[in-house]
Amino acid sequence: MARDIYAYKCRKCGHLHYPFRMVCKECRENDFFEFDLVPLPKKGSLLTFTRVYNLPAEYEVETLGLGIVELENGMRITGQLEVDEPAIGMAVEGEVKVVRKSEYDEFYGMVFTAA
Amino acid sequence: MRDVYVAGIGITTFTRLEYPLSEIAAYASMMALSDAGITDIDHLYVANMGSARVNHQTALASAVVDSLSLTPAGAAVVENGPASGASAIKAGFAVVASGLHDVVLVAGVERMREVNNLEATDFIASLTHPLAEYVYGVTLPAHAAMFTRLYMEKYGVTERHLAMVAVKNQNNAMLNDFAHLHQPITIEGILDSPEAMTNNPYVAEPLRFFDACPVSDGGAAVLLVSEEVARTIDRPLIRLAGVGQATDTHAVQEREEPTDLLAVRRAAAQSFEMAGLTPQDVDVAELHDAFTILEIVESEEVGFFPKGEGHIALEKGETALDGSLPINPSGGLKGKGHPVGATGVAQAHEIVTQLRGEAGDRQVDGARTGFTCNFGGFGNNVVCLTFVRED
Amino acid sequence: MAVDLEKILRPIDNPMEPFQPKYMQLASGETMVIRQIERDEVPDVLMHIEPLLHVERDFYDVVAARVYAELLAWYRHRMQDEYVLVVQIEGELAAVVNGRQVTPKLGMSLHTIALRRGLRVGAHAFAAKMEYHIDTLGHDAVLIVAESPIGFRRWMIEYQLEKRFETPHELGGVPSYALTRDLFNRARSKLLVGRRPVPPEILAQAEAAILAPSDPPTPPEDLLAATRSLYDSTATALIAQRTALGKEAENA
Repeated sequence: MARDIYAYKCRKCGHLHYPFRMVCKECRENDFFEFDLVPLPKKGSLLTFTRVYNLPAEYEVETLGLGIVELENGMRITGQLEVDEPAIGMAVEGEVKVVRKSEYDEFYGMVFTAA
Repeated sequence: MRDVYVAGIGITTFTRLEYPLSEIAAYASMMALSDAGITDIDHLYVANMGSARVNHQTALASAVVDSLSLTPAGAAVVENGPASGASAIKAGFAVVASGLHDVVLVAGVERMREVNNLEATDFIASLTHPLAEYVYGVTLPAHAAMFTRLYMEKYGVTERHLAMVAVKNQNNAMLNDFAHLHQPITIEGILDSPEAMTNNPYVAEPLRFFDACPVSDGGAAVLLVSEEVARTIDRPLIRLAGVGQATDTHAVQEREEPTDLLAVRRAAAQSFEMAGLTPQDVDVAELHDAFTILEIVESEEVGFFPKGEGHIALEKGETALDGSLPINPSGGLKGKGHPVGATGVAQAHEIVTQLRGEAGDRQVDGARTGFTCNFGGFGNNVVCLTFVRED
Repeated sequence: MAVDLEKILRPIDNPMEPFQPKYMQLASGETMVIRQIERDEVPDVLMHIEPLLHVERDFYDVVAARVYAELLAWYRHRMQDEYVLVVQIEGELAAVVNGRQVTPKLGMSLHTIALRRGLRVGAHAFAAKMEYHIDTLGHDAVLIVAESPIGFRRWMIEYQLEKRFETPHELGGVPSYALTRDLFNRARSKLLVGRRPVPPEILAQAEAAILAPSDPPTPPEDLLAATRSLYDSTATALIAQRTALGKEAENA
């Protein structure tokens, strides 16, 4: 079953948020947790990217590709990149996979490949 | 609001220090107190980011105030990521300006080298958004790198410009006794020679080893006093004339315009407005160059150069020690070092030294107005300070 | 009689291909030369290693003591199949690396000591040493250990050395790590730099004399400046004390 990353839709004004915040950025009128979950689209274009060499100890790989993607609905998400030759504006598609492991937990996030 | 003056300053060497954290803070504090000839304070603010995680020490200010035998004065820690230093100065400023206290000691300190490099990188990465950034392995170099790539695309900044900032600042640091790095470098050695890729490898493309500041231990302190107290001391009258601060979205991806540092722009404007000055009045500035790209961008956002033209001013030598607006005469974070909590206070230390005319070989002649920019998070919390010499 | 005893005590060295000198440009813009020395230059090198016996940080004292012994023993013909490479920056001694050939297929890395910090000199010297073992001498593997954490990070982690803990290393009998030809080939593009041949004037300058390093590691200035200044090579405590003394003198 494919996983999703969710955006948070304010029940008062409909503004979409990612990542989560307690108070709606647009109307500031929502009550506690007055948000609906809306899955984020998985396709978008690459806004910027990098390849990191000095990683925290938990990562067993030598280098990691990271990027910020502008999704089809205009929202942006930071994710890992599995793209050989990334370029600004490139079409990418994401999948939710394990992006980090600590001693006891696994954390999920978007991993993008060339679309 | 009363006027607030800087009566004393102190600093330790920025390097690997084997002293306990509270002692590093105490060294800088004792030098500041001795500089002003003051022995009693009303309140102590300690700026620090990692004492709990890296040094297993909480309630640091309580430890420092007692180590200095300054009890029963009040004390508290101010933590604002890499902007802790200037935030602590803002807190001290507010307390003196309001009339609550007359003498406030602000000490910034960090001892990052108590842990290894991987731990230190992760500690700094903990300021990123936990679910949207940290979980992906995003580190501060990664943020700076992604930002740099956008800047290169939009404004034509190149790796050569970044290398120029590194060379300028490391060479300035040669003239600073307290700087971490005393190693001159050349553009040839870090960029052009066939061995450059090994001398200067990528840390997070397109940022390279010499584009990032070193990991340092160190402490700096300033003594903020009321005008009445300032006039009893036989030191030049340096007034903290403007304090500005602004925040922005936590997750970098949510910034309105990906190549803007809005928090820098707003904080600087607020600081100049309070001081009744403009960016063109500034004679010398210390900007937060944790990564070389940041010096270029901040020089534009605070108003020294038009947006997208900071690298052109750099090319022309305007920001060199002998240029029209010297930036980071101390060597900046790049050459001087970046003990996170101490940096904001160290920037103030350098500006006050410059305005007093006591900067020796790196003195900017006739400097009477100075400016600092302390950059927290990745541009989501910025504090700017404006200093003027009054006598 | 004395001559016969010396014949017995002196080992007969196996033939070993010489190291081809190379040069490179450092981050500081200076030129660095790595070349092999013969026994006759050992006294010139020992002169600059000796002060490091007294630098009690970063394991300089231990490494300097062992390097001194290894070079002196080689000079006096009491080491089997040892080689020594020196690194010079504009003629000044910047690092010394040494090692041995155990068999025609196995090398033993002995030491790497850097007299100039901050420019990866030690890392370049170590890479050159490995190049000598694997490429020039044709060894299939080199046994390595590290005394200091810095060494451990640079070699064991960066090169991803193989553990050969069942084999004790000559240095202290501790468990060895190994660099195989395979591992070296993987690391080659990232870690091995330098150009050959060395331009004649640059090589001539290096061969003319081994100059004293201008900024070698030193023990702290004044051990009594503060109880913990033993580790403060920057003398922050000293500066603070001098400020205090200065004020005392002023007020006196």
